[in-house]
Amino acid sequence: MLGLLAAGMMALVTPTMAGPAEKYLHVNVEDPAKGQKVNVNVTLAMAQKILPAINNHDLHDGKISLHNAGTNGVDVRALLDAVRSAPDNEFLTIRDKDSDVRVVKANGNVIVHVIDKQNKDQRVEVTIPLKIVDALLATAKNDELDLAAALRALSDAGDILLVTVEGSSQKVRVWVDSRNTQE
Amino acid sequence: MILVAKIVMGMAGVGLAGAGVLCSEGLVCVKVIEKRPQGHHLSVIAPAIVAPIAVHLAPQRDLAQAAREIGPYLPVIRAALIGLRDTGDAAFVEVREPNERVRVSKSGGSVVVDVDDAGEMVRVSAPIRAILSTVDELSAATPNRF
Repeated sequence: MLGLLAAGMMALVTPTMAGPAEKYLHVNVEDPAKGQKVNVNVTLAMAQKILPAINNHDLHDGKISLHNAGTNGVDVRALLDAVRSAPDNEFLTIRDKDSDVRVVKANGNVIVHVIDKQNKDQRVEVTIPLKIVDALLATAKNDELDLAAALRALSDAGDILLVTVEGSSQKVRVWVDSRNTQE
Repeated sequence: MILVAKIVMGMAGVGLAGAGVLCSEGLVCVKVIEKRPQGHHLSVIAPAIVAPIAVHLAPQRDLAQAAREIGPYLPVIRAALIGLRDTGDAAFVEVREPNERVRVSKSGGSVVVDVDDAGEMVRVSAPIRAILSTVDELSAATPNRF
C-alpha cells in the first residue's frame, strides 16, 4: 500500500521535475543615437549542433586551427595554459597614448579590459571562465582550440556576462543565461 | 440506398485521408498587408508538403545549378534546422530600427519571419519539418552529395 502511494506520488512529481534549463547565448547591440537595436538569442545546444557542421578555412569539426591565425609566433595554447595554472593576479598592463590594456585572472575567470583612447574611449571587457579555457585546450592538438568543447563547458557553467563593449554611441553585450528572451 | 451511403462515406474517407496527407508536413502561411489606403491584403496558405515534392519532381538539370550553389552550405543548414527543431519556442533574431522591425522566431514547430516597415507588414511561417525535407531533397539532388 505504501509502495503504491509512493509510486503515485512519484507519478505526480515526475512531470514537474524538469531537466536542466536550456542555456541561451544572447547578443545585444544598441545604438540609441540611431534608434537601432539588434537582439540575437541562440541556444547553446543549437550552436553545438551547428559548429561541427562548419568546415571552412581554419574551422573543422568544431576545432579552430591557430597556425594561420596571425598570432605572430605567439604560442596561444601555451599562453592560455600558463594563465590557467597561475594564481590570481594582474598579468599584463599596457598604457600608451592609444589604449590601456589589462589582463587579470580573478575568481576563476580571465578578464581582459581594453580602453581604446583613439575611438572615443571605447571600453571593451571580455570575461572567459577558466573552465572554458580548460575545455579549449583539453582535447585539441597543439595548434588547435576546441571550440565545441568550450561551448559544452559554457552550457555547464552558470549565467555569465562574457563581453561588453561600450562606445560613444554603441553598446554591445554578449552573455549566457537560461532565459529565452532579453526582456 | 445503403450502397450510395457507403460510396459517399468512402469518398469522404478518401478526401479526409488526402487532406491529412497534404497537411502532414504542416502549412506554409504568407501574409502581406500594405499600409496605404486601399492597400492589398494578401494571405496565402499552402500545404508545406508541396515544397519537398516539387524539389523531388523538378527536372535534375534545372535543379543542378541551385544544388551546386547551395551544396557546400547544406550540412550547416541541416544542422541549424535540426538544432532549431529540437529547441523551444523563442525569438532568435530581432532587429529594430526607427522605421523597420524584423523578427525571426520559432513558434510551434514553425519558423516565423515578421517584417514590419513603413510600407507593409509581412509574415511568413513555414514548418521546420517541411524545410528539412526540402533540404534533404536538395541534398539528394546535389551532384557531389555533402
